[in-house]
Amino acid sequence: MKKIIATLLLMTFSSSMFAADVITVKGSDTMVILAQRWAELYMKKNPNVTIQVTGGGSGTGISALINGTTDICNASRPMKPAEKQKLKLRFSTLGVEIKTAKDGIALYVNEKNPVKTLTLAQVKDIYTGKITNWKEVGGNDSRIILYSRENNSGTYVYFKENVLDDEDYSPSCQNMPGTAALVNAVAKDANGIGYGGSAYAKGINEIAVKSDASSEAFLPNAQNVKEGKYPITRFLFMYVKSKPTGAMKEYIDWILSDEGQIVVSKVGYFPLR
Amino acid sequence: MKSFLASSIMVVLLSVSLYSQEEYIDTVKIPVQDQLDQLKSNDESVNEILLDMKSYIDLARKLKFSGYMQTQYQVSDGIGNGAYPIGAFAGGAFPTSVGSRFQVRRGRLKVQYENDLTFSQYVLQFDVTQNGLGIKDAYINIKDPWVKSWNFKTGVFDRPFGFEVAYSSNMRETPERSRLAQTLFPGERELGAQIEFAPELGDWTNYNLKLGVFNGVLPNSNENDNRKDIIGRVGAILPFDELNFAVDGGISIYQGTVRNTSKFAYTFNELQKQFTVDSTATNAGKNYERQYIGVDGQIIYDIPSLGGISIRGEYITGTQPGTSSSNSFYNPATIQALDIPGGKTKSQIEATSLYQRKFYGFYVSLLQNIGTKHQLLLRYDVLDPNTKVSGSEIGTAGKATTIADLKYSTFGVGYLFHLDDNVKFTFYYEFVSNETVNSAATNAALVPFKSDVKDNVFTFRTQYRFPF
Repeated sequence: MKKIIATLLLMTFSSSMFAADVITVKGSDTMVILAQRWAELYMKKNPNVTIQVTGGGSGTGISALINGTTDICNASRPMKPAEKQKLKLRFSTLGVEIKTAKDGIALYVNEKNPVKTLTLAQVKDIYTGKITNWKEVGGNDSRIILYSRENNSGTYVYFKENVLDDEDYSPSCQNMPGTAALVNAVAKDANGIGYGGSAYAKGINEIAVKSDASSEAFLPNAQNVKEGKYPITRFLFMYVKSKPTGAMKEYIDWILSDEGQIVVSKVGYFPLR
Repeated sequence: MKSFLASSIMVVLLSVSLYSQEEYIDTVKIPVQDQLDQLKSNDESVNEILLDMKSYIDLARKLKFSGYMQTQYQVSDGIGNGAYPIGAFAGGAFPTSVGSRFQVRRGRLKVQYENDLTFSQYVLQFDVTQNGLGIKDAYINIKDPWVKSWNFKTGVFDRPFGFEVAYSSNMRETPERSRLAQTLFPGERELGAQIEFAPELGDWTNYNLKLGVFNGVLPNSNENDNRKDIIGRVGAILPFDELNFAVDGGISIYQGTVRNTSKFAYTFNELQKQFTVDSTATNAGKNYERQYIGVDGQIIYDIPSLGGISIRGEYITGTQPGTSSSNSFYNPATIQALDIPGGKTKSQIEATSLYQRKFYGFYVSLLQNIGTKHQLLLRYDVLDPNTKVSGSEIGTAGKATTIADLKYSTFGVGYLFHLDDNVKFTFYYEFVSNETVNSAATNAALVPFKSDVKDNVFTFRTQYRFPF
């Protein structure tokens, strides 16, 4: 009997100790390109480590972390108290939050759209449905077509809490499954407006945003985000269940190193330092 | 002449060739244009279909189905008998002559509709087992649309008392709740209305409050008096992220009454160590207190390289109105059926009379995670349904003490294996110990308890849940 118990305990401990060489990463669609680049480069340097990256949205990644089906969760928003509570009940841990990069949430419009700047208040009014025509913000006399993300997206939550002041999105918003799809939709729609990570802004114009009517307008570029001038700036997070150890710790340390942070710039986001 | 002929033939051939090429280009151009028009038309059709589908997708996002099933095999060191129950708090008493069994302990299906715009929620949860179909939850939840920190809930839902009552069975590590929780809150749920303060943002996120008004009967019973019971809990969470450590806890109250259907009201006289009866005629219909106060707490610590450990406990004390043979709460809806007008036998009087007992109970559990798949568990729980009497004082002739006054303690040890995010296996053994009564006891129900009865239970449970 003692031998059986000892064998079971050995199996239990050994399976948990050697599980770290394959690292699974799941979550934010905003971060998926960045996470893939990190993984590709790191695996080239460390062929003994396998890193599997998938998207699905921050909410999906956090659920996977709570379920124990991912080692690392990418999230473009902080975890909510209710999510932390679930993690605590399942694993008796608080989770560890790691800031990996900065991002300016860009506002995209079609290349034909003459509007170049907006105030935060105007952005809020547009997305809550109070402003419905481009001429109200200095554009053409045409209806504003709103593109948004789905509610499992961290960008959706961040934008709602920080730009809309937690007010509801206009019911006319068309929710797109990912940032790439949203950019594509705006690129085709002369009256469209969308938002997302600045790394995706290809084939469309980015709006310069003012904190208020009297302040200067800033584009979401590296300097403005780094200096905190661009008003819609956020951190991109990684969450892990417990303090990372072994291969996972080495990987996260590398992401936070100069080498990992160079990848952040190359992909189009902004390094921490 | 030859050169003229040759030139003429060349011109004719070239003309024919050019004409043929132009004709070819025209024949190619037209289909390509057609195809582009066709593609454009197809694109518009696809867009229309997608827009139509979007309404269904939006509905599917709002309408959520989830559920779990728990099947189990149990074996006891005793055999089910008429003298004392085995496994009554481990999924239901074993039938007579039965020492092992298979069960579908829970088969839950939850249907939830959430409207993001109005912050309202509709929830219906069914339970299907080998015994049939039952309704567990049926409630409406409305979140305040302004500060989004308050919830109003009404219908049938978990009573807001302590930690264990509202801790979902699919998350709970032990197969069943403690004897304490099952005795005080049978079915866990109640019919009523509740407000909850649970902010998601700001300085108050670590504090929460639930306060509700309930019928004070069972979840599947109708109200039987005009008084409502008040149940509430206030809680706080203190996280120390840098230390991988957190403490949380709360204080709960239950302020309620039950209606006596008989004129007999027994209270325990501590000096005489016996129940004394008040048989004033006006006792019939009078309300008697059902009052509990409880504290619950949890400490968690994340052990590096191993996994999180949690120590959780709950202590509840108060006054419980019961009957002669039961320390579960006095439920007029059940008792009334026994309340035969006119002359009653002694057993009928005992069965309908109200017995007030001071009680206390607690549980402490320790859970160690090992990696993400394994959990080891220890739990100790105690229920003393009558704190004024113990051991050999129970069963003394003429004192009216019964099996409802017996103190129980249960020590459980378990191992849980999470195969994936759907499947969980639980192996759990519980050592159940009862207080031993007076060796001279003659009450037939008490006689087996002159020693510790054989009622330990081993449970092997398989759980499947979808989605999380």
